[in-house]
Amino acid sequence: MSMWKKIGDRETGRLCTNRFANYVRSSRVSSLSLSNYKDIVSAHRGSVNSLQVDLTEGRYLLSGASDASAAVYDIQQATDFEGSGLVAKHRPLFVVDKRHEHGHKYAVSSAIWYPIDTGVFITGSYDHFINVWDTNTTQVAVNFKMPGKVYRTAMSSLSMSHMLIAAGTEDVQVRLCDIASGAFAHTLSGHRDGVMTVEWSTSSEWVLMTGGCDGAIRFWDIRRAGCYRVLDQSQSQLGRRPPLLQRATVNKASTSKSSSAGQSSSMKTRTPQRKIANGNVSKQFPISRLPAQAKGSMRQRLHPGLLSSQDRATAHYGAVTGLKVTEDGMYLLSAGSDSRLRLWDVESGFNTLVNFETVRLQTSKMIQLATTQDSSLVFVPCMTAVKAFDVWSGKTSLIFRGHYENVNCCWFSSQDQELYTGGNDRQILVWSPSKSFVEEGKDTRKGQVHSVDEDNWSD
Amino acid sequence: MEKSSSSRGKKRERDEEIGTAAEEIDQFPSLEENLTFSDTLVAIRIMRAQFPHIDKITMQPFILRSQLYSSITDRTQVDRELESLRREKVLRIFKLNTGQDDHAIMFVDDYLKQIDLVMKRLEAKKPGSLVIFEWFKTHVIVARLEPSIDHQELCSLLSFGGEVKDEHVSLLINTGLLVSKTRQLIDPNMYWFAIPNIGSILKGLSQGRKELLSLLSRRKYKEMMMVSLEKKRLRLSPLDMRFHLRDLIGSGHLKTVQSPTGLVVRSKRRKP
Repeated sequence: MSMWKKIGDRETGRLCTNRFANYVRSSRVSSLSLSNYKDIVSAHRGSVNSLQVDLTEGRYLLSGASDASAAVYDIQQATDFEGSGLVAKHRPLFVVDKRHEHGHKYAVSSAIWYPIDTGVFITGSYDHFINVWDTNTTQVAVNFKMPGKVYRTAMSSLSMSHMLIAAGTEDVQVRLCDIASGAFAHTLSGHRDGVMTVEWSTSSEWVLMTGGCDGAIRFWDIRRAGCYRVLDQSQSQLGRRPPLLQRATVNKASTSKSSSAGQSSSMKTRTPQRKIANGNVSKQFPISRLPAQAKGSMRQRLHPGLLSSQDRATAHYGAVTGLKVTEDGMYLLSAGSDSRLRLWDVESGFNTLVNFETVRLQTSKMIQLATTQDSSLVFVPCMTAVKAFDVWSGKTSLIFRGHYENVNCCWFSSQDQELYTGGNDRQILVWSPSKSFVEEGKDTRKGQVHSVDEDNWSD
Repeated sequence: MEKSSSSRGKKRERDEEIGTAAEEIDQFPSLEENLTFSDTLVAIRIMRAQFPHIDKITMQPFILRSQLYSSITDRTQVDRELESLRREKVLRIFKLNTGQDDHAIMFVDDYLKQIDLVMKRLEAKKPGSLVIFEWFKTHVIVARLEPSIDHQELCSLLSFGGEVKDEHVSLLINTGLLVSKTRQLIDPNMYWFAIPNIGSILKGLSQGRKELLSLLSRRKYKEMMMVSLEKKRLRLSPLDMRFHLRDLIGSGHLKTVQSPTGLVVRSKRRKP
């Protein structure tokens, strides 16, 4: 009833179209529950580690699992129906596993689509390889050997000029692999332990964010050497954006005392700043941001790009197990093995101190977070349930319990407002908005007609 | 100044019946009525007033962060208010080594009093070494508001007072004011600030937590009425039951459920 009223309002101009669309989307999201009309038949015999729906059409779901298999499912078109046409079953379109001649030998930790089209997908595995597959022929086009187990791969969805895969491995360096040339572009050093999560920024094609097992989150501009920001959990701001005046006082307070390696005030540019410490300025280090102490140990002259490796600020007390940038590119969510979820302001690099009521998060494996398109809810796998938190107040708004074991990954498809989750119980579950009674009635009659999709043609 | 946002009429009547006896034991108001507060500073002050008196150790009151989370519904508000109070130098936050994310909150005045206590004890044993504490109080505490500090900055701040030697820093570590970060990946040159003489209390804290959780897990339905739970005494911990209850409710190990007869405390963990 209220839907008709809203449509009428939109027609007469009382409700603007964007608001109407947002209203529909958010009411669908708030009614998410385990789908009773859609089911994905998982082809995996190991825990599902990574899920992604392709960014171009939103039609194909790619999943990677611990039994070295990767599979693609068509989530809009069911392969067959069950329960007299009421439940749509989606079987995988193809599966690549250990038996494939160039398949992975150990667990696939990350499987992502090439952002431009679905003809290519990339898998990273614990067997130290990153494979670039051609989807139509299911053959490996290029592969890259890494020095350690690959934890995460990522490609920028905004990139106009580069085709770089950022890979986070057990090794301390983040490597960028170029598909065009088949070689490594460059490496980013600064982390002190393995890099568990890698995410490209959604506002700039050159900015990469990485989270390591040492608890640090670093922002890198790949055109420069060294990271330009390390997030520190003790640097915080109260509110969505830092108030202008307060920023000025934070800067003043930190320049009045001697700078330490752990305190980086919010400087986005890396202009060399001379910090006068107790009146002793050693002439040898004019560009150094480190305290020049008569008593301190001698520091080697470092290239300005490597100075950030001295910065030991941590974003979490344990390892960083999940990162997600919001679609508007303004905020970053990070999950750590200290069972905390933090929200960071990307522009200022401060912790916004929103407290998400997480009790336990799994600590040994990476978890994949998902956000809704308008960044109002964040879906976090918490042990065996997936919880949806309101991003700004930190309150739990929805809890999805359905998996038998720990949930590793989740993906929110903003096109259909559906949530896909994969866990250690080898299942991929679909959570969709509850269908209204009217729609259900129609489906039973047209159960057979669904399977014929006239748009599904190709030359 | 007590505000309770959940007050039950019946409880009040029963309390009045118990009458004068209850008023004499005024320092133990029922936890059920004082579980939630509206403001962080109010909550901290009241919890500070309710800090248990421990016999053998003189300890200034401190509050755990998880206790604040159990008292105020909006945790983000707690975090933000703590942050602004910390910036205004009203209180200090210390990271504790018991468990994952434990922080202790103490008013700056109480912390200074605690340092003075340590100084007096040390003066009796080894006179003449007190000057470093004065430097610590006047320069380091005032300037560095974060829970940790690195060696360079520590020496530079202390040198405002005078010449700093390594023995001074080791004296600070020995008395428990500084703890070196022993975690492998963190620079061994960094120190956490710590509350001196807190060691035995922290041990009592973790043992008391375990005892309380095992007490509830031994029950048939893993739950107990809050009123009767409050009256029990913990064997292994010098801190009182109310302290532990607030802490465990805030950290998520226990859950409170409203029932027709009052609040029930239930053990939350399903897996061991």
